[in-house]
Amino acid sequence: MAALSDIETIPHHRETRANTLHWALAGALVLSCFASLQVGATDVTLSTMLAKLIHGETLSQIERVVLFDIRLPRLAMGVLVGAALAVSGAAMQGLFRNPLADPGIVGVGAGAGLGAILAIVLGTLLPAWLIDLTGNQLTPFAAFLGGWGSTILLYRVSTRHGRTSVATMLLAGIALGALAGALSGILVYIADDTQLRDLTFWGLGSLAGASWAKVFAAGPMILLAIGVSLTLGRGLNGLALGEATAAHIGIDVQRMKSTGILAVAGATGAAVAVSGGIGFIGIVVPHLLRLASGPDHRTLLLNAALLGATLLILADMIARVVIAPAELPIGIVTAVLGAPVFLWILLKRRGLVEL
Amino acid sequence: MSLIAENIRVSYGKREALRGVGLTALPGEVTAIVGPNGSGKSTLLGAITASLAYQGRVSLNGRCVERMKPWELAAIRAVLPQASRLAFPFTVIEVVRIGLQSGTAGDRPEVPMQALARVGLAHYAHRTFQELSGGEAQRAMLARVLAQVWAPVEDGQPRWLLLDEPVSSLDIAHQLQVMEIARDFARAGGGVLAVMHDLNLTALYADRVAVLADGERLAFGTPAEVLTDETLSRAYGCALRVSATPPSGVPFILPHAASA
Ligand SMILES: Nc1ncnc2c1ncn2[C@@H]1O[C@H](COP(=O)(O)OP(=O)(O)OP(=O)(O)O)[C@@H](O)[C@H]1O
Ligand SMILES: [Mg+2]
Repeated sequence: MAALSDIETIPHHRETRANTLHWALAGALVLSCFASLQVGATDVTLSTMLAKLIHGETLSQIERVVLFDIRLPRLAMGVLVGAALAVSGAAMQGLFRNPLADPGIVGVGAGAGLGAILAIVLGTLLPAWLIDLTGNQLTPFAAFLGGWGSTILLYRVSTRHGRTSVATMLLAGIALGALAGALSGILVYIADDTQLRDLTFWGLGSLAGASWAKVFAAGPMILLAIGVSLTLGRGLNGLALGEATAAHIGIDVQRMKSTGILAVAGATGAAVAVSGGIGFIGIVVPHLLRLASGPDHRTLLLNAALLGATLLILADMIARVVIAPAELPIGIVTAVLGAPVFLWILLKRRGLVEL
Repeated sequence: MSLIAENIRVSYGKREALRGVGLTALPGEVTAIVGPNGSGKSTLLGAITASLAYQGRVSLNGRCVERMKPWELAAIRAVLPQASRLAFPFTVIEVVRIGLQSGTAGDRPEVPMQALARVGLAHYAHRTFQELSGGEAQRAMLARVLAQVWAPVEDGQPRWLLLDEPVSSLDIAHQLQVMEIARDFARAGGGVLAVMHDLNLTALYADRVAVLADGERLAFGTPAEVLTDETLSRAYGCALRVSATPPSGVPFILPHAASA
């Protein structure tokens, strides 16, 4: 019976690989975090600072500022945003049963952006008690609402009887993106100078404005949304078999879908609120992971968080060093690296579009 | 302890697809639903599995289906849809396991492989599901459904296989194999309700047959009672002649003997 026992052990192959990948990716994330603290516009490096600390010396004022006020918050924001973008991409693809659904591509990012701009420009008009109540959460929360509204709208338009039409989804995404972009454009006209500076920074898709304030503004929502997404694995696997079948194997489909849409909107909204539109992480990361270890969402979502964070940190390092002392908006780096991968995916798997 | 559907009505917009259809399926038996295209077979199964909105009453093992949670239902009945599309490149064994996650056999890792072996696909376990041929995909889906309710009786309660055209794209050998699987499941105490097109297989394997036509139930009974010249000719709108194999008297229908 050697043959049969062989057969019985192989089935766990991809699963094992996905679990090994957790550790490998976690290691890669830690390494890239160190690398990211190491380099920057000044020639202060993490290694010299660590050496100093080990020898009992104190850090200079400059070193402390560079480490704690510049590089660490930027790193934290990179980790949060990268994980948020990749997880919301993977979750949205699962919900729409479609590997091309990505919040950035189908207009959810633009919707979240509109929410964020509304909050930046019109936030000051709100009654004082409401401003006090929301505090630093106003912009992320508005972006979340914008992302939520556009996800629901998109789902309504492109999904009939539990089946998403790719063409409708992409076209609806274009319309949604254009509309949100136009409305955002109008708001830019009525913004005052400080608001305008906020907006420009933000619109480039960059981590350059990173600060602890922003980390604390977006962090809670991102962590909550990722946490919720990680519970969706089993449900999304079921949904891959179709909505009816998912229900037949015991999944509360309606509840899972609304939870999933909230999580996608939360992660996208909070990420967009602090970093603008950073593209392609949400589509490239899940796709690479599916190639490496299969589409099982129970492992895919966590791996997406790890790989997304790692890639965004690396992209940010590239953004900071290629034209140092100036820096590129990170959105440019992810687009230059991600768009060709995306095109390659389409070229290899034309079938995706004909679903 | 049976599956009872009473007075089921379903409308798609203004069109009434089912006008008060009922049937009772017993554990230990294979119950077949036959009828022409568009007569409402899938719709009836959809109502019984609560996949679409309906009026009427469906109860399973004495409990009203509407009041049961999805996971409670999933533990006692598995559903094979007429067609299924898979969204991501899962392998065959992964697909079978998805069906198992909520089933009570979920803690028995050998079940998916046994289910695949049962439909003759053990060596396909690691193929990508989307690469399978139509018939292979249908059998793999059947394996998923079997794995979900692997033991026909659990905690003294029968479990149910609800199958929409389980043999529609299979070759004759696999048609027989799948019908054997259904019959074995019933003989072991489970219940099977299957939508069928092939009247001869129905006559061979079903214990009870419901004939639907135009959203209504035309007849319900044993194959010998129901598969008659008159009923079938009325249902399908063409003159059909039913013969019987000696010595058992199982009815069979030869298309050659039909006239439009
Ligand atoms: N989603 C739908 N929207 C509108 N009408 C529908 C829908 N699904 C089925 N119908 C109609 O309801 C009637 C019954 O359909 P049903 O799918 O139950 O037929 P069936 O007996 O399973 O046929 P077949 O043998 O072709 O599978 C048909 O007239 C069909 O056109
Ligand atoms: Mg049908």
